[in-house]
This record gives sequence, C-alpha cells and structure tokens, in this order.
Amino acid sequence: MCNACGNPAVPGHWTEAGAATPGDRLRARFHRARVLDAILRPYGLTAHDGGVVPGIQVGTMAGASSIVQNLSEVWAEAERLNGTPIDPLDPRYLNDD
Amino acid sequence: MTTDTRLRLTLLGGYLGSGKTTWLRHQLHVGGFGPRVHVVVNEAAETPVDDALLVGAVGMTLLAGGCCCCAGRVDLVAALRGLCDARSRVSADEVRLERIVLETSGLADPAAIVDAIQSDPVLVNHIVIDETIVAVDALHALAQLATEPLGRRQVGAADRIVLTKTGACTPGALAMLRATLATLNGHASMAGAELGVEVAMAELPAGLVAAVLPDLTGEDARGPILPTQVVLPDGLDWSAFTLWLSALLYARGDDLVRVKGVVRTPAGRLLLQTVRKVVQSPEILPDQGENRSDDVIVFIGRGYRPDDLGRSLTRFLSGAARPA
Repeated sequence: MCNACGNPAVPGHWTEAGAATPGDRLRARFHRARVLDAILRPYGLTAHDGGVVPGIQVGTMAGASSIVQNLSEVWAEAERLNGTPIDPLDPRYLNDD
Repeated sequence: MTTDTRLRLTLLGGYLGSGKTTWLRHQLHVGGFGPRVHVVVNEAAETPVDDALLVGAVGMTLLAGGCCCCAGRVDLVAALRGLCDARSRVSADEVRLERIVLETSGLADPAAIVDAIQSDPVLVNHIVIDETIVAVDALHALAQLATEPLGRRQVGAADRIVLTKTGACTPGALAMLRATLATLNGHASMAGAELGVEVAMAELPAGLVAAVLPDLTGEDARGPILPTQVVLPDGLDWSAFTLWLSALLYARGDDLVRVKGVVRTPAGRLLLQTVRKVVQSPEILPDQGENRSDDVIVFIGRGYRPDDLGRSLTRFLSGAARPA
C-alpha cells in the first residue's frame, strides 16, 4: 500500500460485498457516498467520495472535513461532528416523540 | 453385557452468534458425529436461516418460532417423539438412525432442554443425552458472562466447551477467558475451533487469575432479549441498506446482540451475520431458486420497540432516495 495516499484500500469491508469487478466497486462507492450525503444533510453534515483516494470525506456545512476509511468510521466521525450518535431508532428520527 | 440401543443425542448450545452452526456445519462435513445423524435445529425467530446451511446429515428437522427450552418445548418433544417412533419401526439389525444432534437457539438454557427430554416418559426410554457441547465466542464471551445470566447457565451446562473465534483473540485474553470458564464449569473439557476446525490451545500459564464476574442475581432492568423480523422491500438498494445497518450497529450495537439473514443482491444471495458490532464478511450462498427466507432479516436484541426497526429502515430508504 502506498503510504502517501493509502491506495489500494484495505479490501473487504463488509458493506462492499456484492460488487465484484473494479468498475462495480467504483460505481458502488459513488452511489454509497451520494446516499450517505442525502442522509447526513438533515444533520448539517456532508459526505463525498471523489473516487481518487480511498476513504470517504465527512464534513460540516462550515467546511471542516476529514477522511474516514469505512462506514463504521463514518458514524464515529458523524457522532463527533454532530455531538450525539446518528441513531436510526431515535424517536425524533422516527417522528413520533 | 448389556447394550444400550437407545438413540444418542448431542445437545449443541451456546449464546447468540457464538458459532454453533459454523461448528456443526464443519462437523457434519467431516463426519464428526458418525453416520446416520439427524439434525434438529431450533431457532427462536419465526424465519429460519440456518436450515439452508446444514448439509451432510441424513435428515433435518427445523423447529422455528419459539425457543425449545420454553415456548417451543412442546414442539421439541413432539419432533423427538416422531424420530423415536420412526426409528422403533426399524429392526435393530438394520441400518437405522444412530444419533440426533440438537442445535438449540442462542437463547436456550441447555439444562431446561435436558430436563424436557428426561421428564418425558417416552423420550426418556428412547434417548440418551450423551454430551452437551457449548460453543463460546472467545471474542465476546467475557463481556457476555459479565452481563448475561443465560451465558453463565449455558457454560455451566456444558460437558465440552468449544471456544470459537480464538484466532481473533489475544493469547492473554484467551488464557484469562479459559481460566474464567473453568471457574464457572470445572468439569467441562475445552477445545478451540476456527470455522469449525479444531485448533490446538497452549498450556495455561501457572498462577493465571480468572476475571471477577459481577453478581447477576437481580432482575435485568434492560428487559428480555427478543427476536424481531424485518422484511426487506423488493429491489432493495444494498448501499442504502448497509448505511442503515452500519448506523444502527454503531448506535445500538450493545443492545443488538445478533442480526442474521439472507439478502438478495445483484451479486447473489448474501448471508449477512453480525454479533454485536462485529459484522462477518457476507458469504455468497448458492442460488436455490425461490427461497422463503430470503430478504428477511432477524434482529435479536433489546432496548428498542420491535416495530421501530422496520419503520426506521423504511424511513431511511425513503430519505436515501431523495436527491440531496
């Protein structure tokens, strides 16, 4: 692995299952980043994956951003930026509090 | 000389996600239980997943929709009586069933199952329980034993403890776990296994101190651990689903002890399994045509309302579909 850019990424995070060819993997990465961005926006956060270096950029609307390696780390970083974990079972998220 | 011609029964227990099915699969593959084995699998949830995985037995009975040490006890007794009945129609000189392996659900107390079999007037005359094997997840067992009375009861019931996932554990942590298990059950033999294959374990260092486990005699305020099924929508977006599941495990991993199911993706049928926050690399299963248990995920845990899981997923998927 190149110690400057980290390429190629460590293989086999479980969320990447199902994408067999390099093309599929790249398409899946872009798609996942778009979906993640749509999910994080209501929390005032953004996500972006340029596809050039491994990792996903997670940031705030104010411009602070960091690169994380996989989805488990995304949620840890989102918790740090958001102040609380992004909990899909949070009653406020489910709109019934 | 008297020969006991009763059916032998091996009880396989262990906590949720401890690796029972993985171990059993390998044992069946290598013929570890000898020929003519019938496997009885009990799953607490209504949607079975394990039945797709077990090949190598002469027959299989699936008991779903209730743990057979309590709610499913009647079904278990009926299934075992059926096997005994079929066997008693075959003469002892002919080839007939030799052994039953009963894989319990991860929520079962093996002692309660032994009691169910031995207190049944028919079964006690047809079945000998000759070994209780309990799978113990070397990676998570100490945490489970500190908080789950059930985990301790399972260990206490074992004749043989199979330590799984030993390769993921440091030698020091593994040695401490073995010493702790020995304090809970001094008479059980212990062996290590990686994906069902037995691995040698080092001698325990002298003077090793076992972990001190807290007293768990009070009622657990967190409520019971219950299974919940979530049916995945047709045409599921795998990426959005993995985002939801990874967020859920990050936020709720300590309460969500097990997630298991088969998800249909463009790449094939993926077997998805988690234990607390650890997700196993999804395994691609062979296509078996229309399978009733595909695209149903079983969640076993507590600390949430069961209905919220499906609602949350639906909401997450609809939010993911909206353009940013």
